[in-house]
This record gives sequence, C-alpha cells and structure tokens, in this order.
Amino acid sequence: MIKPLLCLALFGMSAAAHGAFVVEVTRGQTEAIPIAVVPFSSTEAAAASFDVAQLVSDDLARSGRFNTMDRKDMIDQPHSGASIAFDDWRRLNTDYIVVGSLQAAGADHFSITYELYNVLTKQRLLGYEINSNRPGLRSASHQVADMVFEKILGIRGAFSTRIAYISVQGHLPAKNFQLIVADADGENPRVVMQSNEPLMSPSWSPDGLSLAYVSFEDRVPSVYVQTLKTGERRRVSAHAGVNQAPAWSPDGKKLALTLSTRDGNLDIYVMDLATQALTRITDDPGIDTEPQWSKDGQSLYFTSDRAGGPQIYKVGINPGDKPRRLTFQGSYNARPRVSPDESQLAFVTQEDGLYHIATMDLRGRGDVQVLTKGHFDVSPSYAPNGAVIIYASRDRGRGVLAMVSADGRVQQRVVSSEGELQEPTWAPF
Amino acid sequence: MLLHGLLAAALVFATLISINRLPLKSEPLPIDAVVIDSQVLHAAQRVLADRAEQEAARARAADEAKLAAAAEAEKAAARDADAQKVAAANHTEELERAAEAKRAEDLKRAEAAKRAELTKQAEEAKRAAEVKAKAEREAELRRQLAEEEHLSAVEASPARAQYIARLSSRIQNAWIKPPSARAGLDCIVNITQVAGGEVTSAQVSQCNGDSAARQSIENAVYKASPLPAPPDPALFQRNLVIHFHPEE
Repeated sequence: MIKPLLCLALFGMSAAAHGAFVVEVTRGQTEAIPIAVVPFSSTEAAAASFDVAQLVSDDLARSGRFNTMDRKDMIDQPHSGASIAFDDWRRLNTDYIVVGSLQAAGADHFSITYELYNVLTKQRLLGYEINSNRPGLRSASHQVADMVFEKILGIRGAFSTRIAYISVQGHLPAKNFQLIVADADGENPRVVMQSNEPLMSPSWSPDGLSLAYVSFEDRVPSVYVQTLKTGERRRVSAHAGVNQAPAWSPDGKKLALTLSTRDGNLDIYVMDLATQALTRITDDPGIDTEPQWSKDGQSLYFTSDRAGGPQIYKVGINPGDKPRRLTFQGSYNARPRVSPDESQLAFVTQEDGLYHIATMDLRGRGDVQVLTKGHFDVSPSYAPNGAVIIYASRDRGRGVLAMVSADGRVQQRVVSSEGELQEPTWAPF
Repeated sequence: MLLHGLLAAALVFATLISINRLPLKSEPLPIDAVVIDSQVLHAAQRVLADRAEQEAARARAADEAKLAAAAEAEKAAARDADAQKVAAANHTEELERAAEAKRAEDLKRAEAAKRAELTKQAEEAKRAAEVKAKAEREAELRRQLAEEEHLSAVEASPARAQYIARLSSRIQNAWIKPPSARAGLDCIVNITQVAGGEVTSAQVSQCNGDSAARQSIENAVYKASPLPAPPDPALFQRNLVIHFHPEE
C-alpha cells in the first residue's frame, strides 16, 4: 500500500512543478521497431566467408519485433559510429542502426566488430568484438542479433538456440523417420536419430543436453531418452499399451507422460527418471493426454475429452488435486504449451474444420487470440524467451515449419525440405 | 605689474629729496666787526685767513659730507633697490601663489559645479527611469492580467483538453511498446519543446520500467516531434509532463 501512495505523491509534485499540464499516455503501438543493419565492411577474404549483417537482419526480422531496412534503401553505409549521419537515418525513419566490420585475422581466424546506436538519441548502446573461426561465424552472428534484441526489447534473444523436429522422408512402405536438431533459423540440420518406424513427440530436457521422444522401433510405442553429445539412448517407458507424449519436469528429474490401462483408457502419469516409479495424476474414463508442466513444477496442463470434445485442463500433481478446465471457446482446443513466464498458453484450436494456433492469457481474463490462419497449423512450441512460437504447418501439401510472434503480428515460414516436417520443439537457452 | 612699478618709482623719488636737503644745513655764514689796524688788520687778516681756512675746511667737510652722504645715499638706494628687488620678488611669488590658489579654487568650484550638474542629471534620469519602469510594470501587469484572463478563458474552453488530446494521440502513435511495457508501468517524462513543437529534450524523471521501457518512452517523444501546435497559441507550454501508464 505504501509504494503506490509514494508514487502518487512523487507524481503529484512533479506535475505541480510544471504547471499541472500533464499529457496522459495510456496506449502504445505493438508494431515492429524500425532498425537498419548496415552491411559490414570487410576484407576480401572475410567478405567471401560470411555476410554477418544479412544474418543479423534476417534474425531480427523473423522475430517479428523488428522492421529491418532494405539495403537498397540505405543512403549510406557507415561502418563505425563516428561516420553515422544520424539526422539522415532519422529521416529514413529508422530508430536504431547496427554498424560493424568483419576482418580476417588469419587463415581461419575472424573478428567481428559491431556497434548498436539509438538514432533518435544518438546514444551508443552496444559495442563489442567477437572472435571466431570460419564455421563459428554463423553462431557469432546469431550472438550479435541476440545482443541487439535484448538491448532494445529488454528480453533475451533466442537466435542462438536450437530446435528439434521430426522429418518424414519417402512414402509407405519405405518411410524413413528422422529426429533432427537444427539452429533456431532452421540452418545446420543434424539427424540425431532415424528409424523406419515412427518417431514422435520430442521433448527437451531443461538443460538442453537430452531429448525424450516416442519411438515405434519395438513395434509398440516406447519412450526413449537420448543424450545428444554421446548419442547414448535409454528406454525409460515401455508399458503395455500406449506410452506417449513425454514432457520433462522443470527440475529435470521427472517425466510426465500418457499411459494406457488395460481397457485402453489414457491417463496422465508422472515418472521419476531415477527410479522409473510412476505416480498417476488423472483418473478419468475420457482421454487425458499431452501433459505440460507449469513453471513451478507443481501442476500439469493437459488435453482431455472428458467433457465431449478435447479441451485444456490444469491439475496439481499432489494426490487429491482436481483438474480445472481452462478453455471454453470452441469445440476443439488441444496440445497446450506454456510460455516461459507462464503468462500465456499456446494451443491448437479448430475453427470450421481448420486448425490454427491460438493463445490464451493466463494472467488476466483468459482472453483468447487466434494467431494463425493456415489450414493445418499444429504442434506449437515457445521460444525460450517467449517472443515467438514455432509450429508445424502445411504448404502446398507438404509439412513445413513456421513461426509466429507470440502476439500474432509476424508470421514466417522457417524450414521446408523434401520431407514432411512435424512437431517442432524449441530448445531451452 | 603697473602698481609694482609705481611703488618702485615712489621709493626712488623719496631718496632723491633727502639728498637735496643736506647742503642747506651746512651753510651758516657769520657777519663780523669792521675795526681795522695793521695788527688788527693782520689779525683780521689771519682771522680772515683762518676764517677762510675754516670756511674752506668747512667747505671741504661739507663736500666730503656731501660725498659721503651721496655715497650713503647711493648705498641706501642700492640697499633699498635690493630690498625693493627682494620685496618685489617676494611679492611676485606671493602673487603667483595667490594666482595658483585662485586657479585651484576656480577649478574646484568648476568641478563641484560639474558634479552637481551630473548628480542633478542622474537624479533626473533615475526619476524618469522609475516613472518609465512603473509604467512598464503596470503595462506588464495589465498584459499578464489580460493573458491570464484569456488563458483561463481558453483553459476553461475545450481548447486545452483538445491540445492535450492532440499531444497524447501523437505520442501514443509514436510509442512502440517493448514487452515490459504492460499495465503497471508508470513513467513520467519531462520534455521541453520550442516554438514549432520541436522537442529539444526529454528526461525520464521517474519510472518503474526497465531500460527498454525507458528507452521506448524517450524515443516515442522524439518520434512525435514536432509536436502538434495548440489550437490557441496562449496554450503553448514550453515544458510538458508526459505520464506513461499503459492500460494493458
């Protein structure tokens, strides 16, 4: 109670000192911030190696938070703060500018120098040098984008993170399923597991070192945990019937998953990874599946058709906790994913037979916003900074990966390849 | 100078008079008996000779006395002349001192007069300035009063609210909210604008937001520049307080 009063008093004084002529601003825009990433100066050898500015610009644009200036619109190409004509850039309506250089300091040794300026205040906000070898230039450039993103928006950039997804190659009966880990922009895809039987539901461990997933390699679905660096795999759940939808707890010690009883009823369980001991969380004749942990690890969000169509519920993991229904809008809401700060829930909603990605506000009145307009947009997953949601979509009959900013403003297709791409999952920082 | 000459001449004349008087005193000629015998004659002759001799001696003495007197007179005259000269010299110095003193006195008087004149002029100027300042003060007060009356009139009219709404709308359109700028954010920005609405400074004075929120607010104000003009010029405020507190 004291703090708001103090604020009020201070504000009152400030207003009085200026003749009480106060302009109230209660709304703002959510549009993208204009920024110019000027091509970096470079030695010939370095220039042939990499276009740092292009990658930084692409990252920022894809985040939906930035409106990047086309190179052809740049009237000048300064490479350091001293040569920026701020008034000219201001006339081009850019709020921020990134300048820098890429120098080859040896056969396989490069140096990226960059600076970020606020065009309106002419303030230098960032100035760094990153050293890298040739293969590291891409990740070094993502780091530049991360720094710029965080400096301007106050939230961590997620351009240096990774995604995992399933790629299905070929057609029956010669289908090949691959579990792929790639950079967040879809580059550098690496196959970490492949099988002629279906692979499904990849889930990252909180430390980003392992993936849990469902494999049908034993003809029945089993849950495996694989350590990425070593490739070591461990089957952690192979109960009779269904073993699906693993989800790692925030402390990394438990997996929530869906198991079936003998009569085929699906319920949510929590498994202790060390002992493989199971705790049953839901007990309902309907289908309960797709569990997802709350931030504090004390509750699970899940999909259930107990009320008819699939809807999203939340339940505490302690014995006796009763599930609470969260979604009421529409007849189909499934696959809940919680934003990292748990302010928002992303899920799949069906409208007129089409599947879209939607979000629900978890802090306020539970407002629902439909973010995408595709025919089959499914499997949402938040970037670890909560700014962007990656999901699976279809483009001309093929499965692709797409991204939408968490506020729905910017939508972009990220990855498409020969295969059917499914179930993208964003790795933690 | 003329007076001085006359005085000198008078002194010389007086000396001459005293010199002419001296022979008159030394000329008493005696009248003797007329008994003549040889002896007597002889005696008479001796007497006569003695007389003549005495007469001659007397004459010589007289002459000598005359000469001495003349010499004395000459000396006296010379002394007098010297005295006269010294006196005259003394007098000249005195006169010069007197003249000098007079000149100094004259100068003093002139200066005093001048000072008095200046003081008088300054006082007059001061009085005039006071009168003028008073008139100006009164004019200014009248003008302020009129302005205030006008201002309170326009402030009471919808013009003030209209101006604030214009400013608010302009800044809201320019404000790109970062993720941290949500309900609960409360920031005050003091801005200065010049005629024409150009924002020359923006200071976030108190703000519970992060650096991204502060920066977005500062940028919003600069991007809104030039700010819209008030519907009535009287409403123009050089210093404005912008209160950012998003509702969502």
